Amino acid sequence: MLEYEGVQYKGFRNIYNEEGEATGFQVGIRMIGYRGAWLSEFRFGYIEVDGEKFLADRCTFVVSGVEYTYEETFNLGRVKWPLNEAMIVRVQKPGGLAQGSHTVSALYGQVASYVPFGSGELDINQKPGGHGHSESFGYTREMIIV
Amino acid sequence: MSTSQKPGIHRGVSTYCWYPLYNVNMTLEDSFEIMKDMGAHGLEILADGIIEGYPYPSKEWLNKWFSLCDRYEIVPVEYGHWVESKLYRGRELNVEESLEQLIHDIKLASYMGFTCMRTKLGVIDDKLTPTKIWRDFIRRALPYAEKYNVVMQPEIHWPTRLTDQMILDYVEFIEKEQTQYFGFNIDFGVFTTDATGMGMPPGMELNPSKPEDIIPLLPYVHCCHAKYYNMDENFEETTIPYREVVQIMKDHNWNGYLLSEYEGPHKEDYNHCMTQVKRHHVMLKRILGE
Repeated sequence: MLEYEGVQYKGFRNIYNEEGEATGFQVGIRMIGYRGAWLSEFRFGYIEVDGEKFLADRCTFVVSGVEYTYEETFNLGRVKWPLNEAMIVRVQKPGGLAQGSHTVSALYGQVASYVPFGSGELDINQKPGGHGHSESFGYTREMIIV
Repeated sequence: MSTSQKPGIHRGVSTYCWYPLYNVNMTLEDSFEIMKDMGAHGLEILADGIIEGYPYPSKEWLNKWFSLCDRYEIVPVEYGHWVESKLYRGRELNVEESLEQLIHDIKLASYMGFTCMRTKLGVIDDKLTPTKIWRDFIRRALPYAEKYNVVMQPEIHWPTRLTDQMILDYVEFIEKEQTQYFGFNIDFGVFTTDATGMGMPPGMELNPSKPEDIIPLLPYVHCCHAKYYNMDENFEETTIPYREVVQIMKDHNWNGYLLSEYEGPHKEDYNHCMTQVKRHHVMLKRILGE
């Protein structure tokens, strides 16, 4: 089952390398909508933790167990991010997140061919505040790293 | 052709009513049970979000689908799908690519027992004018729609008006092709007289269609989105002239399904969505004389 919120508590944790050093963290996001996104229609703004923004160049995206860079998603018009699945965003941040409370935000969306106006903060070309064809949403949640 | 097993106006529900709740605190089976409780047997699904593994569901999931439809007396009416004209960055989908998506959905919809499709086309402007190549791929999809016996229907949705040029273009296309496999789903939001609750973007005008504007289109309409934004405690929709619209449809002996589609606020609130859909069906039963 999913949690209602766009930012999912389940799966939120630090990522460690083989030496046991934290190299970053991961967080799940879901589409609060009625259709999943073809990966070529996925649009990503950022993950933000306590005011620090992580853009696409510091993230990878795991869908149905397969990890993609953002550029790799651009041409994947036949791969679906299913509506009933959280996408795991893996974020590079040496040292990971500190133990304790964090304010976690995510901005992402999908292109909607049938909507003339942007219904969110990202337009089709990912310009914030643009007049485009993307349904995009920003969500924020308070979450704890143990 | 009619989606109805017997003549007249029938009630149904679109899974759109509950879309953010699926996979959180609701399953497809839950919605079937609620529909059975209300005697609303017609179903619209939004295929992408409802079919597990879409566009390639497993045989196991499809078997479960058929057994749930049987158990809860569900009539698959409309299969909601999209032709994704903006699938790739920097270019529009071409005719072949559009057709490929469309044919796959026609076959899957038919296999699952649907008789109509809500065929959502990509748009090019604020009036929701469809992509310029729509005639080319729809014409080539017609033989498939006929073979698999499903009607493709663009949804006519606010801010489009029932008298707009695009509607005339669709009718001209239908008449020219002499086809029964392309028509309309009229979304009752086109009749909305009060923007309260619909979340209208700034700068847009409401500009509602008149109930009688539906009359010349009725021969091409196989099911409708019975849109509602606000059902009050007296079981009346406060923003759409339901009684007038449905009476016109009855007077013209229209056959088909009215599919509840809730697009008001608080879609995250299970109790609110459930209250709204139940009120909606009390109203529809009264209007239809059930």
